[in-house]
Amino acid sequence: MRAYIWRRILYMIPMVFGIILVTFFLFNVAGGDPALMKLGKNATAQSLEQYDAQRGYDKPLFAGRWGRTRAWTEMEPDRHAGSWRLVKGVAWTNTGGGRVVLPGGQSYGVPMAFRPRPGTYRWIMEYRLVPADDGTLPSVEWVSGQARMLLPQATGWRSQAMVWQVVGDETGMISRLSVPAGTLEIRAMTLKRRNAHWLDSQLVFYLGQLARGDFGVSHDTNERISRMMLRGIGPSLMLTVPIFFVGLVVSISLALLCAFFRNTWLDRFFVLVSVVLMSVNYLVWIIFGQYFLGYRLRWFPVWGFESWRYLLLPVLIGVISGLGGSLRFYRTVMLDEMYRDYVRTAFAKGAGRGRVLFVHVLRNAMIPVMTNVVMSIPFLYTGSLLLERLFGIPGLGNMAYEGIMNSDVDVIRAVVFVGAVIYVFANLLTDISYAWVDPRVRLK
Amino acid sequence: MNVTNTTLRTERGGNSLWKDAFRRLRRNPLVVLSFGVVVVFTLAAIYGSVVHWRYRILDAEMPARLQPVKQLAIRILRAESVRGQEPVYIRQDLDQRYQPPSRRHLMGTDGLGRDVFHRLVQGTRIAFQVGVITSLIAIPIGVILGCLAGYFGKRVDDVIVWLYSTFDCMPSLLFIIAIAMIARKGLMGVYLGIGLTSWVHLCRLMRGEVLKHRQLGYVQAARALGAGPFRILFIHILPNLMHLVIINFSIRFPAAVQTEVIMSFLGIGVQDEPSWGIMISNARLRLWEGIWWELGFTTLIILAVVLAFNLLGDALRDALDPRLRVTGDHD
Repeated sequence: MRAYIWRRILYMIPMVFGIILVTFFLFNVAGGDPALMKLGKNATAQSLEQYDAQRGYDKPLFAGRWGRTRAWTEMEPDRHAGSWRLVKGVAWTNTGGGRVVLPGGQSYGVPMAFRPRPGTYRWIMEYRLVPADDGTLPSVEWVSGQARMLLPQATGWRSQAMVWQVVGDETGMISRLSVPAGTLEIRAMTLKRRNAHWLDSQLVFYLGQLARGDFGVSHDTNERISRMMLRGIGPSLMLTVPIFFVGLVVSISLALLCAFFRNTWLDRFFVLVSVVLMSVNYLVWIIFGQYFLGYRLRWFPVWGFESWRYLLLPVLIGVISGLGGSLRFYRTVMLDEMYRDYVRTAFAKGAGRGRVLFVHVLRNAMIPVMTNVVMSIPFLYTGSLLLERLFGIPGLGNMAYEGIMNSDVDVIRAVVFVGAVIYVFANLLTDISYAWVDPRVRLK
Repeated sequence: MNVTNTTLRTERGGNSLWKDAFRRLRRNPLVVLSFGVVVVFTLAAIYGSVVHWRYRILDAEMPARLQPVKQLAIRILRAESVRGQEPVYIRQDLDQRYQPPSRRHLMGTDGLGRDVFHRLVQGTRIAFQVGVITSLIAIPIGVILGCLAGYFGKRVDDVIVWLYSTFDCMPSLLFIIAIAMIARKGLMGVYLGIGLTSWVHLCRLMRGEVLKHRQLGYVQAARALGAGPFRILFIHILPNLMHLVIINFSIRFPAAVQTEVIMSFLGIGVQDEPSWGIMISNARLRLWEGIWWELGFTTLIILAVVLAFNLLGDALRDALDPRLRVTGDHD
């Protein structure tokens, strides 16, 4: 038994790893630009950079030397001149690949969004030099803070990198290009920020956060997400635990009733009722429940979270909406057992119908019932997003909903991650209890 | 060779799995009724798409690269460009706000004087779009991964089992909504959210069945004749498992519709088209003022579609594969 448990616990490692990867992929890789999503298009580049730095989004995804900075907005010469349009004398063509054109005889400041914070940066410029009227190639000088370089002279497109240190109190122009004669054409220009260590990536940052049990800070409330979750779990459980137990008792008793009267009108009626119950949308239960039971009949308060009476209606709705599915499941389980040999034997030796049902069948049906019960434990945690939302119960579901509406990525990621991990543990619990009840499982 | 083959087939006919199932389904009046409901709604969805796309193509200010499509459509439909003539489900009439059901407006009008009946038809179109497109995403993923895992076993199996177990752990509605949020709001988010999360059950089922079929005589015979693994999988084994795919489709369709309604209601799904969820969300508070028709008819129609699909799905499952009764219920 102990060996089995150990094996089962080891099996959890790849699962948790998978959950980490999926959440990471969803929010960091596929998520695009969380800062832009959160702060909107009109946010200043500086506030975007601050958001990135606080949440590790300025690091490379998996590994690498260079991360991103918002000080320089990436230019797209195919479509527009980017921030170069702010600089006097600069032209732009979008034909043949698109490029920004800097005519000679002038010096140009590179239009940065803000002064980069201290650190090491690297410019990469893809450029071409066009000769002046007298046929000489211009000698373009590029100055960035302390670093300066003459661009290598060539007529074709070429790429040039320059590393540049930003010290705390640097003043004056941040980056400047002097073009004495001819023309400088730029096809692409990027600025990267040097990462502290090549392994210091978003993934490592995320893993580190998880290892500390720290889910970061909500952008909207500026509160620790772990604390918000602890606060939300109480109301969620107050709602879901009663739903869970009442639902269990009601559906199992009805299932036993169906098994007892199998193939009579009562059984068929309940089968039909369960399909109908399953087909009614959750929303409909809530809306009509609030209207008829809360508003029209005034049996329950309609909305709010002030005393236990406010929980009655959501619990009732939760039980009813879940009843269809679970009644059908438990009925099938019970009926499956009804045709086993031991049931026939029990009947043959003269046991009454009630005794067979409650003593023999119910005990053997406990295994699938238990699986179903344990596997619904994770749903206690997220509670019911809709119930909490529409009844104004400040639980985890409500918190997740607000996170989604406000694009608060860290909140959603934390709720999804914890939910998945709880599911893994529930799975472990089911398997262990299986092995405990049924010794054959252990040996497989 | 060909000739003998066809004669054999006609002689043997009449007792295949499909014919047998069909005969059993036809006998059940409830099934026939649900099938009728499904057909009616499918026709409504087709009608809704014709109205919708006709309007979109003829009226909308199209980007330049799609102009040839518009010109072609105008020529085929022999229609003028109908700029400004909105179809009934969009047309607002502020004098006709909150009209109860009448002969002119079969199911009344909503807060902007739009006809509820026509909006419900459009809602049917969106629901069917969601049901079909999410299936087109999820079913291929589930079938292909399940087949590969079941047939090749070993490392391939380990990786695929790990993948679907991981997806299985995710809290369902939240995960769907999170994907939809990442994919930007709108219908695309709904398709991706539901499609990318709901393949797990089918994948697991296919894996188990392929595992069983791999041992059977006909597969061994095919292998002995030199058929490659992909030929065996997709030409020999898969046709024998198609009934599982059909059962899965009939179960997932109503579930996808329900999820879409909830997402649109919460403001994460469809944005400005008349989805059922949006209609419920708009009409919800008006119920308090006694304006029952929009909410009432919407919920009634959702119930009818979902119930018909559920009944049909149950019957299909019992007819095609009675063994699934326990395992199929759970998801």
